[in-house]
Amino acid sequence: MIETKHITKIVNTSEGQLQILQPISFNVKAGESVAIVGASGSGKSTLLSLLAGLDQVSEGEIYLDSAGLHGMDEEQRARLRGEKVGFIFQSFMLVQSLTALENIMLPAEIAGMDNPRELGQQILEQVGLGHRGTHYPNQLSGGEQQRVAIARAFITKPKILFADEPTGNLDAANSDKVEKLLFDLNRESDTTLVLVTHDPELASQCQRQLHMHAGELTEVTEQPSGSDADIQQMQAS
Amino acid sequence: MNSAFNLAWRLFKHEAKRGELTIILFAIVLSVASVLSLSLFSERLQSALTARTADFIAADRLLDSEDPVDPQWISKAKEMGLATTQQVYARSMVFGNEQMTLTSLRAAADGYPLKGEMKTSTEPFGLGEVTEFLPATGEAWAESRLFQNLGLKLGDKIEIGDSDFTLTRVITEVPDSGFSVFGGNPKVLIGYDELAGTNITGPGSRITYTYFFVGDSSTLDDYYDWLEPQLDRELHYWMSVEDDDSPIGRSVARAEQYFLLASLLAIVLAAVSIAVAAQRYSQRHYDPVAIMKTLGASKNTVQRVYLYQISFITILGIVIGTIAGLGIQQLVVAAIADRVEVSLDVWHWRPLIIAVFTGIVCAVLFSLYPLLKLFSVPPLRVLRRDLGAGMSSRVLQFGATGSAILLLMWAYSQNLKISLILFVSGIVLVCALLAITYGLIAVGRKLGQGKMGAWQLAWARIKRRAMDNSVQLISFSITIMLLLVVLVMRNDMVSQWRDQLPQGTPNYFMSNITEQQRPGLDAHFQQNNVQTDVFYPVVRARFVAINDEKIRTAVTKEDDEQQDQGRNGLGREANLTWSSTLQNENRIVAGKWLDSWQEGQPYGVSVEERLAERLDIKLGDELTFNIGSEVVDVEVTSLREVNWQTMQPNFFFVLQPEVMQAFSPTYITSFHLPSEQKAKVSELMRPFASVTLFDVDARINQLREIVDQVSLAVEFILILVLIAGSLVLIAQVQASMDERQQELAILRTLGAKGSLIRSSVVFEFLIIGIVAGAMAALANELTLYLLQSQVFQMQGSIHYEYWLIAPLVGAAVVGLLGAAGCWRLLTLNTSQLLRKMV
Repeated sequence: MIETKHITKIVNTSEGQLQILQPISFNVKAGESVAIVGASGSGKSTLLSLLAGLDQVSEGEIYLDSAGLHGMDEEQRARLRGEKVGFIFQSFMLVQSLTALENIMLPAEIAGMDNPRELGQQILEQVGLGHRGTHYPNQLSGGEQQRVAIARAFITKPKILFADEPTGNLDAANSDKVEKLLFDLNRESDTTLVLVTHDPELASQCQRQLHMHAGELTEVTEQPSGSDADIQQMQAS
Repeated sequence: MNSAFNLAWRLFKHEAKRGELTIILFAIVLSVASVLSLSLFSERLQSALTARTADFIAADRLLDSEDPVDPQWISKAKEMGLATTQQVYARSMVFGNEQMTLTSLRAAADGYPLKGEMKTSTEPFGLGEVTEFLPATGEAWAESRLFQNLGLKLGDKIEIGDSDFTLTRVITEVPDSGFSVFGGNPKVLIGYDELAGTNITGPGSRITYTYFFVGDSSTLDDYYDWLEPQLDRELHYWMSVEDDDSPIGRSVARAEQYFLLASLLAIVLAAVSIAVAAQRYSQRHYDPVAIMKTLGASKNTVQRVYLYQISFITILGIVIGTIAGLGIQQLVVAAIADRVEVSLDVWHWRPLIIAVFTGIVCAVLFSLYPLLKLFSVPPLRVLRRDLGAGMSSRVLQFGATGSAILLLMWAYSQNLKISLILFVSGIVLVCALLAITYGLIAVGRKLGQGKMGAWQLAWARIKRRAMDNSVQLISFSITIMLLLVVLVMRNDMVSQWRDQLPQGTPNYFMSNITEQQRPGLDAHFQQNNVQTDVFYPVVRARFVAINDEKIRTAVTKEDDEQQDQGRNGLGREANLTWSSTLQNENRIVAGKWLDSWQEGQPYGVSVEERLAERLDIKLGDELTFNIGSEVVDVEVTSLREVNWQTMQPNFFFVLQPEVMQAFSPTYITSFHLPSEQKAKVSELMRPFASVTLFDVDARINQLREIVDQVSLAVEFILILVLIAGSLVLIAQVQASMDERQQELAILRTLGAKGSLIRSSVVFEFLIIGIVAGAMAALANELTLYLLQSQVFQMQGSIHYEYWLIAPLVGAAVVGLLGAAGCWRLLTLNTSQLLRKMV
């Protein structure tokens, strides 16, 4: 589902060029769940942004469901994201001026799907917030907002779901709820899941963990239950 | 297409409901409402004033001709629906009581005057009453002076050319009599058809045929378009109220320019507030755009969503603004209805079209750059919140905003000069402000060091948001500057108007006072508690040569009534006076005044500047006058600017007293008689029958009435602009308060006391207010100088008081508004604040 070949990221700073990601190569199979873990500043969010097509690689190739992200412009990447990708963020990233239901409908509308409202309401029920559809994000608790974000991510039935610290802003009880919801929906929809976290417990629920350190992919560990994961390559500079 | 529209509509609906669009909506409402109310009010006022000033030429348009015009011209005018009438002016001798005198004869056709009122009385120097008919066959009406000069009374016969007339009424006022202090020779009015019988219109006679036209301005313009190709510049002169060079005409023209200026400034104010609001609007939408892009929205979809949204906001803003504008205008009109004639019955489409156009152009052009920035927000912002818009071009921002403002002003005023003046001063202000902001920030870095108190926090904030603050500073300064321009301009203009006619302005003038009569007359007046003004010696002379080159040119303003209307005046005599003291409202513009003359030098003369220009007289030229059989040669030692708008005798030529010693002059003087003592004037003048009396009371009252009305109107326009400006300031502070929210939340969370936060915000706004006020005072001075000298034809002056007032008021107002805005935020608890930030 995801294939990366020697991808790097170099940024320009006032002190010259800085390589924030060393050449990385790995593959993720369809339906697999992968956690990218590492300390702050290790490059895990940068890696996520490249995998999701939110940013351009400096070098190397990324294939998302066989489509070469590295050769696409922003418009093509946006279309690909709309068709195949779902997102969940640490800060929820809900549109404050839309209601919970409207936030959920947003990707469906952008993708031009039929009946976005019905679909939205359906999935809102599924995340247990059927009665909060008309509420605005700031009228919801953090846990509820993240559940809305999860519902939004799944409405288009994406092939791949990217999650950036999905429980990072939540207390333990809400974290558990959100985690459960995320993995349940993931399983039901047979979605490939790539999440960034430094929560070992959340990471442990994924089939595979990619460990990042100072921009390098240093280690890959597999969960016993997820041993069917197929690592084809791992290379650190 | 549909999904973008639906999304835009949904966003618009929710954001409007939640008050998130208030600022930008308010800016558009303000721009539409202020432009509409100002221009509708001023347009209505202008029609009222134009109608009123039309009284002074007795019509909307005049055609003067030296010969009778083709009758087809008049029938064409009637055919087009214009009302017309005509009058013949002639200079004619009138005989009566075995004496004769030169008069200004008018033969008026039915319908005269088409505009304004004629007043007559049944005794000389009596109070006039409106008269709506003309002298009957065989009758003539005359001004009091004719009765006085020839010792006539009502019922006496006078002879004009070959006809005899019976005097049946005394003319006290005709609308089109001009504003010269000495309204020429006494007027005599007869019926139009009687003129032929007098046989005074033969070859060589000096006759002017005047045709009056009244109708709506578009018909009048159409008629003129038809007529113009047939006019001969040598013979014909077409005149409208705007061409009226009398003090009233000029006051009204100046007021109209002021209204235009005020409306232009309202447009700039609106533009500034929309620019500020649009920037804020764009920043608030960075996140939604990044989210939409992340979720797969193409750039095109994002653009459509926001273009739709801006359109919804603009339409709603225009609708609310139009209603508010109409309401405000109606309120103002109702408030002053009894004091200013505003023709409410006329609906003007132009202001509405302009207001809507302004709303659209402002909304589109001023949100263009913020929107372009918004569209360039990268999707990566969802992960990296510090990422702003990808695009940033100050050149594009200032260039687009600046040229939009200039275009708007130009399109609205159709006056490139006034637009460029405002625009250039704006540019200078912006550049100066940018330099000063950065300078201050550098200085502030030093000032703001040390323990973190309110003062340090304020500087830290100013420093950190250098660019934001400079934009804010510029918008504050421009707002304050515009308000200052409108305020100071109004003060200068109204005080100059009032100065023309201070209380006690002489309303009677006397001429032909002999040297022998003078002491007796002075004493007699003093006994009657009437104060006479300066006695000006006058000798009638013929101006014959410049540097020995003979001339045949009109030189006296007073002598020739027709010249008041810009015509004729060839070969008349001049009134020469002499004095070593420069008269009030006279200013030497070249050379030296006569008091610098020394023994042995040629005798000097001071010449009025415009006459000198017309006759090509230069400093050092030798002028020759014939006084009786004597010849007087004088050298031009100075040129004078004369304010002809003052109700005082003014002279084209003022000579060295020494050169005139041999001549015995007559004197001109003036006095003021309160209207309740008007009846006393005949009594007062009885011992001096040979002295000619000019009654200008009616003229002065007309002028004062117009000036009062115009001043009052200007005052209301000022108030409207001040209100609009204050609202813009509030909106600006409000917008910037939003930006401070996050910081306040953090400070609050860290446990900072409310008083510390409040003082730091107040300090910050005080600093911004002082700088903005000071810069505004500076820019105000530059703008006013350019406006007054280039557009308003006024004497420019420096307004030192505002150099102090502007920074103080700026600091106080901006500081107060800042404190008030901050107060609102501080009433929220920390968690509410944090929530607001999400």
